[in-house]
Amino acid sequence: MFDYQLSFGSPWYLTLLVLLPLVWWLSVRSIALVGRIRWLIVNVLRTVVLLGLILALADVQWVRISDRLTVIYLLDQSLSIPAEQRRTMIEYVNAEILEHRDNEGDRAGVIVFGRDAAIEIPPFDDDVQLAPMIESLLDPEYTNLAGAIKLAQASFPEDAAKRIVLVSDGNQNLGDVAEQAQRAAGAGIGIDVVPIDYQSRAEVVVERLAIPTDIRQGQAFDLKVVATNTATDGGEIHGRLVLSQLTGGEPEVLSEERVTLPPGKKVFTIRQTIDRPNFYTYEAKIVPDKPEDDTMPQNNRATAFTHVRGKGQVLLIEDSEHPGEFDQLVERLRQQNLEVDVQSTSQLFTTPGDLLPYDTVVLANVPRSTGEGDEVYHFTDEQIEMLVRNTQQMGAGLVMLGGPSSFGAGGWSNTELEKAMPVDFQIKSAKVAPKGALVMIMHACEIGQGNHWQKVIAQEAIKTLGEHDYCGLLQWSGTDQWLWGQGLARVGGNRNKMMAAVSRMTPSDMPQFDPSMQMALRGFRKVPDAAVKHMIIISDGDPSPPSRGVLNALIQDKVTISTVAVGAHGPAESRLLANIASAAGGKYYACKNPKALPRIYQREVRRVARPLVYERDMPWNVQVNFPHEMIGGIDALPPINGFVLTSKKDNPLVEVALVSPQPAGERNSTILASWTYGLGKAVAFTTDAGARWTKQWPDSAAFDQLFGQVVRWSMRPTGESANFTVATQVEGEQVQVVVTALDKEGKFLNFLNMAGAVEGPDLQRIPLEMRQTAPGRYVGAFPASAAGSYFVAITHGLEGEAPILTGVNVPYSDEFRDRAANEALMAELAERVPAGGKPGQVIKSDPGDKLPDGMLKVDTFRHGELPKATSSQDVWFYVVLLGSCLFFFDVFFRRVQVSLLWIPPLVGRAVAHVLGRDVKPAEVETMQRLRSRKAEVSGRIEQLRADARFEAPPEAATDLEALQKPAGPTPPAKPRAGPGEKLTEEAEEKGYTERLLRAKEKVWDRRKGHDQK
Amino acid sequence: MWARGNPGDRRIGRAEVNKEGFRQTERCHDRYAEPRTSIFTPAMKSALIAISCATLILMSGCLPRDPHNLGRLEGVWGRRGISDGRLQRPRAIAIDDRDQVYLVDKTARIQVFDTKGTFLRGWRTPAHETGKPTGLSIGRDGNVLVADTHYYRLLVYSPEGELLKSIGGTLGHRPGEFGQVTDAVQDSQGNYYVAEKGEYDRIQKFSPEGKFLMQWGGHGSQPGRFILPQSMAVDEADQIWVADACNHRVQVFNTEGELLTAWGSEGDKLGKLYYPYDLVLGDGDTVYVCEYGNHRVQKFTRDGRSLGCWGTEGRDRGQLYNPWGVARDSRGRVYMLDTNNHRVQCVSM
Repeated sequence: MFDYQLSFGSPWYLTLLVLLPLVWWLSVRSIALVGRIRWLIVNVLRTVVLLGLILALADVQWVRISDRLTVIYLLDQSLSIPAEQRRTMIEYVNAEILEHRDNEGDRAGVIVFGRDAAIEIPPFDDDVQLAPMIESLLDPEYTNLAGAIKLAQASFPEDAAKRIVLVSDGNQNLGDVAEQAQRAAGAGIGIDVVPIDYQSRAEVVVERLAIPTDIRQGQAFDLKVVATNTATDGGEIHGRLVLSQLTGGEPEVLSEERVTLPPGKKVFTIRQTIDRPNFYTYEAKIVPDKPEDDTMPQNNRATAFTHVRGKGQVLLIEDSEHPGEFDQLVERLRQQNLEVDVQSTSQLFTTPGDLLPYDTVVLANVPRSTGEGDEVYHFTDEQIEMLVRNTQQMGAGLVMLGGPSSFGAGGWSNTELEKAMPVDFQIKSAKVAPKGALVMIMHACEIGQGNHWQKVIAQEAIKTLGEHDYCGLLQWSGTDQWLWGQGLARVGGNRNKMMAAVSRMTPSDMPQFDPSMQMALRGFRKVPDAAVKHMIIISDGDPSPPSRGVLNALIQDKVTISTVAVGAHGPAESRLLANIASAAGGKYYACKNPKALPRIYQREVRRVARPLVYERDMPWNVQVNFPHEMIGGIDALPPINGFVLTSKKDNPLVEVALVSPQPAGERNSTILASWTYGLGKAVAFTTDAGARWTKQWPDSAAFDQLFGQVVRWSMRPTGESANFTVATQVEGEQVQVVVTALDKEGKFLNFLNMAGAVEGPDLQRIPLEMRQTAPGRYVGAFPASAAGSYFVAITHGLEGEAPILTGVNVPYSDEFRDRAANEALMAELAERVPAGGKPGQVIKSDPGDKLPDGMLKVDTFRHGELPKATSSQDVWFYVVLLGSCLFFFDVFFRRVQVSLLWIPPLVGRAVAHVLGRDVKPAEVETMQRLRSRKAEVSGRIEQLRADARFEAPPEAATDLEALQKPAGPTPPAKPRAGPGEKLTEEAEEKGYTERLLRAKEKVWDRRKGHDQK
Repeated sequence: MWARGNPGDRRIGRAEVNKEGFRQTERCHDRYAEPRTSIFTPAMKSALIAISCATLILMSGCLPRDPHNLGRLEGVWGRRGISDGRLQRPRAIAIDDRDQVYLVDKTARIQVFDTKGTFLRGWRTPAHETGKPTGLSIGRDGNVLVADTHYYRLLVYSPEGELLKSIGGTLGHRPGEFGQVTDAVQDSQGNYYVAEKGEYDRIQKFSPEGKFLMQWGGHGSQPGRFILPQSMAVDEADQIWVADACNHRVQVFNTEGELLTAWGSEGDKLGKLYYPYDLVLGDGDTVYVCEYGNHRVQKFTRDGRSLGCWGTEGRDRGQLYNPWGVARDSRGRVYMLDTNNHRVQCVSM
């Protein structure tokens, strides 16, 4: 599976190899000194050492070449490909892997794509098989080939050759596949393509719904529907043309007529009248009688907008759990000539267009998440953003009415809505800060992407908790353990750390609930200042149930427990979780779709936020803090006995009209506050409207006056000093906006400071620049490549006039315009030559072949056409180490002569042993050698002594001469000991001492002689 | 073997002599003229002999091994995957008389291997959408008993995978009904013992024909009760050994459900248990207990005295990660089901 090679990071150092012959040449002179064999050994060693140094300098690397191949199949799941062919694509991939993945080390992976790409099966060395239904969640209304190739390129393991097999119709409408394919080829990735063909299909397309721009109340106008029949066989298509009006999200059929559509384009005209001012959306749809006449129903419809202004319109959103709670307020507002629509949280607006008709939106004691069991409704992040943008960009008002489920108590903390309001929903003052405690027990690892969803819900919960709340998370990771610290921790100051810890957690299969619930109990007991204690358990119900003792202890400590069953195997597991929730005063949720988990957690975390409600039995009066026009003319308000604690924003634009004298602390006692947010106005009213805390108010005249003034102040202005006509035109991927501005006398309004903003279908803000091109005529344009609704708000700088609002609809994406596969693009992708490899192949079945078997003729796991994967490892340090070791031996062999004389006797003995001959005792031989050696050494000592005697230093010699001369003639030199001669130690010692004594005596004698003289 | 012979050396020696005169001569004289004595003192000799003896003893295996590493790894096999021969979080293991290894994993496949890990055959339980089996054992007659946990029943297969019998199938707490079945064993008389977890945590006894005979246990920590009786084994005397996982103990019953002995307590030291998920009886007086929470297999005497263990937490060879099962072959080798590593490790203990 692997080959190995050497490579060099700095190969020019290899030129130093020329030194090697030089070393040999220079050492020739030393042959005579050390002998030929040693010379040879030493030079070989020295050569290897030098070679090692040169290789190390050249940065030698060990390269492993892999014979493995990874094939990633990219499956186009966009809706331009009929469902039947998408199924065939899956069958093809499964069959191809089984048929051709022969090499054990080869890997196969699958990426599916539409607008985005997702890994359906990561590369794996097994015969992986796709399920009939793709599990990844995609937006199939677009085709992004480039994104898919980019993801594949990032997904390839490094240790194998890489091939992409692109199974698609080639009709991209997002991204640039040519550029991305070029990058992939540059990275050595081969591309095979499997073009999906659907040329012969029939199609009905509604190209456009045209509506006049200047529609007045009660005046008839014509709607024009432009439709196309793409059939190539010349046949007519019969069907129905249905015109609907969408108001408040509810479609209402206005007309339905039978039509015949000949090949080519045809225009149908429908006459309509608008009797009531509003923002209208029309939809025209053609429904063919025969389904086979139409392949893609998505392109059978088109929509258009028009806006007829009237008196102020109000949308009041109420909690679906308390329907009719604000009926009295709604009735009083209607009596004040305001048009009020009521919407329940179970049927919330879904698009920005649903909000456009209204001049103000009132959130009346609405929590972010509400409902029971599977019927849990919540405001998505997108819906919250629509609300905020409706105020910020479209100039509508936004009023939040209080109640136990509003503001922070409603789970709105840390949302975009909080940013739009004049008060913060969390309490900053520690004196009055109520605290809640939440423990989450996580055991959802058994469901698909379980750990991902656990992270999502845990982070959602942490986001929703207040600064003073406590939070703890228990998981099983070998043991039951807290994710952070040793229990619950304050969220304030730790929020980011908690989020980071959650993003890293990997809980595994928990055997039983009891230990973790005991830990939770101990954790709760360590935070006695928590007013509300709540626990949420998410599990499949597999762990063994908690003991009665720990459950009772939790109940006794006023801990409520809610349970969420995910992937529960059956009634046994579900019952366990339901029983826990029932016993501990919580809710039980059986969640079948993980997407519902975040809103369940938002709802549950609200329990912890309930201390934000300030409620007393004894009512008290609110105080006027600022004479705002919302409370103008109101002399006195009845007392209240509760409101939701908030914190006034540190912003000079915030005006607090009413405050509560209790609890102490001005920042948290706001009752009525307002500010201007973008083009619109936002109002926070923290007590309720007659339901619970202001029961005396509806009987007071101030009730009508206060709420009427609050709503009217917040509304979008409705001046009539000017007349604006807006026309929009879609031209390719651009939308042109033309505004004609007249005053009420019909004269052109020139030099207006006109500018606008567009909200696209993905809620992205697109700036719109308007230029005056003629008297009273202003023109601008913005890009509109994606399908969906675009809402345009244009400001003009006129005092008291509402912004100009309009909308334009791009009915469907290009995905539904393409009616034939783009085989040319696919072939071009296959022709790309990967660096170091060969181009890919176009895989097509022959006519008449059975699919997908006919496509298996090309082996996508073929080897040898792509550059092999290599991995390198630095080995220079090993080479240096080897050279250092050999250098020792180099020195060793030069300095030390190794005797090989021991080998022949050894061989002789071995041979004798084998042949069974007598062998002389080794001991005798050894003794002889020792004796001879001793004699040799003794002789050498004697030689040294003799040398020392005659070659002593001059001063020593002088002394000796002085000692020896008077003694007479020099004794003859003692003959040197022969090799076999013995010198006894005693004799040696004696002779030396005697000579010394004699010399001393002579010296003394001589001194005596001198003294006598 | 080798001798000094370099002329350079001789030059250095002469220079020294010339410089130091007599003293050098005396030193040479001392080195070679005095009677030779051993370089080892008696104490050193004794130490050397002791070290040599200890080495010999250790090499011969006469001293006890490290009790935390009782076994010797014989082999590791199994890879993650869904094709034949691959494993996806295997959760139960059993070995029959022919040394064929049966595994059930989280794809509800029962796969049969030889002791080297060669795939022999496999099959899948009839229904597995709701959940996968978590128990597996070999019956008295060589049939395979599969605890079909989330379908509340016991499936009896022939060794070749033919479904022979099904006991239970109804959720409930009455006789013959089941909660989540965790394991089943058969005694020498052919009676079935089926353990279940959840609210009931009990063991039911059935006749060889599948007729309910009796039950015992119940949820709790008192002796004779269970919290997650994850697996069972039957010894030579028809005693039922139960791995009482969440009580961190082993309980032994006779065939009438009377508690004979119980031992074990929570902990990670030797002799302690932490989520014992499986056990297998060894030769003589031993029993091997697989600890899910301690990532090890511990060897005990049958009265609960620890003899040592094998395994630490990890992903490498010789390490375990949340093992679910243990089994023994005819040669006494212990097979550990390394669940979260998707493999089997074979150890001589």
